[in-house]
Amino acid sequence: MKKLIVLAICTALYTSFVIFSLHKPSSVVSDDHMTDVGKLMPVKVKQVVKETELTSIKEVIEEAKREDLKVSIAGKRHSMGGHTYYHDSVVLDMTGYNKVLDFDKEKKTITVQSGITWDDIQQYINKHGLAIQVMQSQNIFTVGGSISVNAHGRDIRKGSLISTVNSFRLLTADGEIPTVSRKQNEELFYLALGGYGLFGVILDVELQLMDDELYEMTTEKLDYTEYSDYFREKVLDNQQAKMHLARISTAPDSFLTEMYVTNYELASEEGPLQEHDELRKERMTGISKFALGMARNFDWAKDVFWEIQKQYFLKANGDLISRNNVMRSESKFLEYEAENDNDVLQEYFVPVDKFTDYIDDLRDVLTAEELNLLNITVRYVNHEEGPVLSYSDEEMFALVLLINQGLSKKEQKKTGEIVRKMIDVTLTHGGRYYLPYMPYPTKEQMKRTYPRSEEFFEKKKQYDPDERFTNFFYEEYKQ
Amino acid sequence: MNDTRLKGLIISQSSVFFASSLIFPYYILFIKNVGSSFAQFGLSYGLFGLSSALLHPVIGRFSPLIDHRLFLVVNAWGMASVLLLFPHVGSISQVYAIQLLLGMFGAFQKHGEKIMIAEFTDGAERGMKIGNYHFWTSIFSAVAIMAGGYLADYFTIHFIFYMSSALYFGSGLVVMRINSNKSILVKKDKGYEMSTEK
Ligand SMILES: Cc1cc2nc3c(=O)[nH]c(=O)nc-3n(C[C@H](O)[C@H](O)[C@H](O)COP(=O)(O)OP(=O)(O)OC[C@H]3O[C@@H](n4cnc5c(N)ncnc54)[C@H](O)[C@@H]3O)c2cc1C
Repeated sequence: MKKLIVLAICTALYTSFVIFSLHKPSSVVSDDHMTDVGKLMPVKVKQVVKETELTSIKEVIEEAKREDLKVSIAGKRHSMGGHTYYHDSVVLDMTGYNKVLDFDKEKKTITVQSGITWDDIQQYINKHGLAIQVMQSQNIFTVGGSISVNAHGRDIRKGSLISTVNSFRLLTADGEIPTVSRKQNEELFYLALGGYGLFGVILDVELQLMDDELYEMTTEKLDYTEYSDYFREKVLDNQQAKMHLARISTAPDSFLTEMYVTNYELASEEGPLQEHDELRKERMTGISKFALGMARNFDWAKDVFWEIQKQYFLKANGDLISRNNVMRSESKFLEYEAENDNDVLQEYFVPVDKFTDYIDDLRDVLTAEELNLLNITVRYVNHEEGPVLSYSDEEMFALVLLINQGLSKKEQKKTGEIVRKMIDVTLTHGGRYYLPYMPYPTKEQMKRTYPRSEEFFEKKKQYDPDERFTNFFYEEYKQ
Repeated sequence: MNDTRLKGLIISQSSVFFASSLIFPYYILFIKNVGSSFAQFGLSYGLFGLSSALLHPVIGRFSPLIDHRLFLVVNAWGMASVLLLFPHVGSISQVYAIQLLLGMFGAFQKHGEKIMIAEFTDGAERGMKIGNYHFWTSIFSAVAIMAGGYLADYFTIHFIFYMSSALYFGSGLVVMRINSNKSILVKKDKGYEMSTEK
């Protein structure tokens, strides 16, 4: 009897420890070592500072100036190419600077501190029936980090993120804080947006919002040769369609041929938004993660993974979903992944009409090479000429490639070589590559992709002659 | 009688070896993530050995006074609890503290394991039985190391820590079930003390 009681107490104690441990957020980052989600370049930095007040952020910059230290700016650090740190730099972690400063329901605008995440904003505006206009497919990023890459997502009617930014304040290298918009300090607007943290600290940002909407999801299977026409006729010309997403197979049996596409069309009256506007938690994380884990190691599993995905999305046909929920997608598994595997991303933009030829050439490269390609999603970006480092000067499809590579130098080198080949193919078709990922492209490729990059780096020197704001991306590509 | 008890010991310690081998390779990676120099790495392993060493004579002294199963239970449940801390370790000083604890629990395990084997075996059969014991515990270690790699791939490192913790806890339960009223409660049975290896 006594033994049973002891046993029961111990078991209860242990269970409560387990629950406590599971619920307490884990911490595995060290203080003076930095890396990003790519986890491929751990580097010693001088110090990571996380400030919540403007005055302290200003002090950091002033002190860096006095002591002649470099400063790197970091959001959630999901960029992968050393955009958020540098040797012995002071890393300004912006994630504590994350309040909502102002909200105007009538004008549909919100002013936020730049370290806030999209998730925080969604939590705030959803109850007012408003939604974000343009953001990534996931909501884990900071506003400052997203503006600095000029992110884009599933929306097909607006431009990239820049089109929804009304203005922001920028703490520059000389310690000034100008307001930057299309009307004031216009030049800085187009430099700092998509500026990768090189022109100063983006402080508070006014964003244009829109009404939350209810969409009906429709998913269809297609052959890749039909996609360009399908997209123009059934999606772009269909005014009800507001968002879009496609996937092209990376499974051996249907490699780069089979696609399925999902459209989000304004729902007809039948379902009121209120019934669907509760913000959803992530689902499927465990299952997708497991399936992806298998796919990483076995080709047969890639076929299975593709089938499961396809069935899952085809089954969702006709489902109703609110706009805010479309932009809280289930890809969080990638976040966990970074702990032990190395899944890296690449993104290529190609003109809509070049899609078929492009895929044919890409397939040629990839069948000749050994690349562990796990997934490709396709989205659409409107043309956007504003930002100096614009990636879409015409209407483009954006292909995101999820690639598994090892940690070893040799593996990285191999991936780098294949990536450079893929970029060459992309450039041949008038395409571009996206900058937040691994620094595999050559300087030459960067120049060809971004014809105004020279101007970008010249302006950088002009606005920040001491190169106070620095990161590895800058060091790698500055001219 | 001794055979069923030896079986209990084998089962419980096989799961201990399984659990510890499951995490061991990843635990090193994990320390590496937190620490930043070879010196810190060496220090953390040194602390492990040191705390273990210092505890051995103490355990030895108290050994005749307590139920021997307790050593293994302390190790099992102690490890089960410490493993729950792993996902929350964020600094090198916390790693040092954990290494100290691991060293201490390790000492309990080593002592308990040896003394119980000695107790459950004798005579000509001893050698064979010890061989048997090591066979099973080593097999489980080896399987665990391989399994750990796959698990880490498909789940997360944290998942492995939790799984290992659960195994440790289970091992403690098995130890509790090893029958003891015969001879291990030394306090009640003075004669028994004489019959241990001296
Ligand atoms: C899983 C995954 C999915 C992704 N999906 C998409 C997608 O759908 N669409 C898309 O467009 N992109 C996508 N990306 C890329 C992503 O948008 C960028 O990496 C983005 O920068 C991440 O935001 P962050 O908060 O992590 O920024 P960080 O990685 O922390 O920073 C990015 C850059 O912004 C700068 N920066 C950050 N905050 C500030 C600030 N307050 N002031 C000035 N500069 C600052 C940094 O110096 C750095 O150069 C994805 C990335 C991942 C890992």
